[in-house]
Parts: sequence; C-alpha cells; structure tokens
Amino acid sequence: MEAAFAEMPLALFSTLAPMGAGAFLILAIAFTVAKPDAEALRRIDRFTAIPVALVLVGFIAAFFHLASPLNAFGVFASIGRSPLSNELVVGCIFAVVMLVYWIWAISGKMPEGARKGLVWVTAVMALVFALFTGMAYMIDTIPSWDTFAGPVQMLGFALLGGAAVGVLVLALGGCADALKAGTLKTAVLAVLAAGLVLGIGGFAVQAAAASGMSNALFSGADLVASATMTIVCGIICLVGTGVCDTLAVRGAGASALVGASAGAAVLAVVGILLMRLAFYTMQISVGLSIM
Amino acid sequence: MTQYAFHFDGTRCTGCKTCEMACKDYKDLSVGVAFRKVYEVTLGETKKADDGTFTSSCVSYPLSMSCNHCDEASCVKVCPTGAMHKDGESGLVSVDQDKCIGCGYCHMACPYNAPKVDREKGHSVKCDGCAERVAAGEKPVCVEACPARALDFGTVDEMAAKGEQADIAPLPEKHYTEPNFYIKPSEDAKPASDTSVKVVNPLEVK
Repeated sequence: MEAAFAEMPLALFSTLAPMGAGAFLILAIAFTVAKPDAEALRRIDRFTAIPVALVLVGFIAAFFHLASPLNAFGVFASIGRSPLSNELVVGCIFAVVMLVYWIWAISGKMPEGARKGLVWVTAVMALVFALFTGMAYMIDTIPSWDTFAGPVQMLGFALLGGAAVGVLVLALGGCADALKAGTLKTAVLAVLAAGLVLGIGGFAVQAAAASGMSNALFSGADLVASATMTIVCGIICLVGTGVCDTLAVRGAGASALVGASAGAAVLAVVGILLMRLAFYTMQISVGLSIM
Repeated sequence: MTQYAFHFDGTRCTGCKTCEMACKDYKDLSVGVAFRKVYEVTLGETKKADDGTFTSSCVSYPLSMSCNHCDEASCVKVCPTGAMHKDGESGLVSVDQDKCIGCGYCHMACPYNAPKVDREKGHSVKCDGCAERVAAGEKPVCVEACPARALDFGTVDEMAAKGEQADIAPLPEKHYTEPNFYIKPSEDAKPASDTSVKVVNPLEVK
C-alpha cells in the first residue's frame, strides 16, 4: 500500500473530479422532473459551487502531481494516441462546459430551456469524462489495469459520489419536498444503486483478475491482500453513502436531510478515495515496472 | 535510419555492476537514479528429503539492462506531450526536457523499468544510449566499462546476429514493445515466457 500513497494527488483527482462531475446528472434530472421555482433555482445555483469546487480541486491536485506543471499545455499534443491526452482533453471540455453552465446560471439570466439543455450536456460530458478517466489506465503492459472494469468502476464512483453531492446541493437549495416526491426520489435511488453496483462490482472484477496475476516482482494476490483493509473500509463508506442518501430522500426532515446528505457526501469522498488508493496498489506489469 | 541495439551476454556477466556505476558516474546521476540496472534473477527450490538431506535446484543469474530503445516503445505511445520520442536517425529513445511534464506515465507503462521521473530536474530521465558518444563513433560508456565484455552495442543487425531478441525471464514477451535488446542467455536462464523467476533485489533496481 505504501507505493499507492505516492499516487495520492492522482487518487484525489480521480476521486474529486468525477464526483463533482457526476453531481450534474442529479441536477439535470431535478431540473427536468421537479421543476424548482425561481428562488429554489437561485439557491441551487449558489450551492452548485460545491461540485464545481470539487472538480477544480481535483484538477489542481492532478496539476501538482506533475514535476513540471508549467509545461502542462503540451498535454494535448498526443490526442488519439496517448490515453492521458484523451482523458485531459475530455476533462477540459467538460470543465469548460460546466463553468459556462454555472457562470451563466448564477448570473440569473439563463432561460429555462437553455438551463435544461446545458445541464444535460454537462451531465453527459461528466459521464464521458469519468469513463475516459478510467480508460487512461488501460495500458497493455499493465494487465491488471488493462480492463474495462476500470472505466466501469470510475463511472460507478461518478454516479454514486455525484448522487451524494447532487442530493447535498438540492438539500441545501431547499428542495426537500421535491427530493421526497416520487419521480426525483426514484431517479436518485436508481443512480445511487447503479453507482454502487458499477463501482463496487467493477472494482471486484478487477481485483479478482489481479489476484491471479504475478510477475517477477509482485504477486497480485499479495498486493490485493495488502489492500484488504483499505478495500473493506472503502466499501463500508460507499454502502454508507447509499444508506445515508436513501434515508435522506425517504423521509428525513429538512434539517436532517441536509445532515444526512452531507454525511453521505463525506462518506463518498472517503470511500472513493480508499478504493482509488487500492486501485493504485494493484499495478502489475507484464515486465518490471516498479511504482 | 540506422536502428541501434544493445547486446547482453549472460554467459559472461558476473553481476559486478560496473556498467551501472560507470553510467551513474558518466551521467552524474544522484542516489536513487540509475539508467542501467543489474537485476538479480533467481529461481528454484530447496527440499528436505526423508533422510534429512537437502537438495536444491536454486540458481541465480544477473541481467544487466537499460532502455531497450524499442520499435513500439510503450513510453513513447503513452507520453501525452510527445516529449518521449524516438530519434529518426538512430532509433534511440530520449526525453525532450522542454516538453516533459513529469507525469510519470512513461514510468508506469515501460515494462523494462527504464524511464523515471526526477522531481528535482522536473522531467523524466532515462538512458539515451549515450547518443553523443554514438554520434562520435564510440560505444555507450556502460559497454566500454564492462570488464567481462558482456555488453555490446551496434546496429540492430549486428546485435541480432549475436543473440535472441529479449528472450530471457523476467522480461515480457517481445511483442509488447519490440525491444532492440539481444541476449545470449546463460545456461541457467529461463526464456521470457517463464513465470517461475523472481527479482530478489527490488529495492536496488527501483
């Protein structure tokens, strides 16, 4: 596990940025099915600063992972060839769309049609960004990472963490009644369930495959065993996220809703971060790559 | 283009690591950075028989290796900035320091453990085949330093005539990157497909 902590900036990036991005799916669903009034929209837009901040802090963490961040503008030189260039170009497009949406929204001059259209574009781009973040680790010389279980788990973490952040934004925005109403409640629960299944399921498939791999330096079974406590704690936090948000949308009072959804968001950050650290532990090269 | 390659003669190498030290000296590398590394590869087991005696099949062989300047280099493929590049004249792979962001992606992807991010320098570092010496008609300093003449360097055709392409455990199958590394294995050495070997000096070659 020690080697994984050396990748903490990347673990933070791949935790916070997809989480913040995923929140826009919940906002898109809420604006479509719940139709908040103008005052609620104003509050929601203000608290949309939370997912925006998560995305930006994630990108800043990745920026400081670089040994020469001032050369970072060169990362677009290998689009189509380098999975990292592909991830970053998709991430930057998403970030620009997100910022355009948010800045326009908080200006108070965004027409309803534009809001719905742009928030859905942001939500779709968020999910594509999460997939590309997972695909950045699909390198053929690292078979334990070269699996679609990676992008699947990233998508799951974006959905689960995004749902937690999205519900928190709606709760802070005073949408308690809308969250407990049938359609939005059902949608939130569906996103939470999909996130849990894809996140934990994708990770489990990858860990099972990695357990059977080895090279002259590492045994996959030993690496997975070394991360067992991290994985168990991560899964407990992720399930806790689902439980807190389920309780929140199924009948908590307005203040309890904020508390439960805040707790869910904190658990999601901790849980996803632990799972990402466990992911970095499971690096098994076809040859001699040593983290 | 003249593609250059290394040759390693496992029947001559004693594992003395003079090649590694000569490279560190010539390139003025700090502690923790080595462009050429000597892997101590072991395999086999020791068994106790019913009569109390022991038999052992344990063997160990050294493998001296730097960057293999691969035809399909993983580090070049994944590099987001194009800093990691293959020279059009010599086929040697090196880092453009002005483009490198030090993301470590090349280090992750290379199955030969060649590039490494030097955070003090702010970019990836690796063996460049002593390109300036090669341009002057000399061989890389590791080759010249080897007291057992276990290393050689030349055109890929010359080196291919002296051994098999990277066919020694614990190296990966050659199809991943098509390395320009040719080997005459020692008697105890296993082929690249063998998974029974272990590298027993991981902290040294990290």
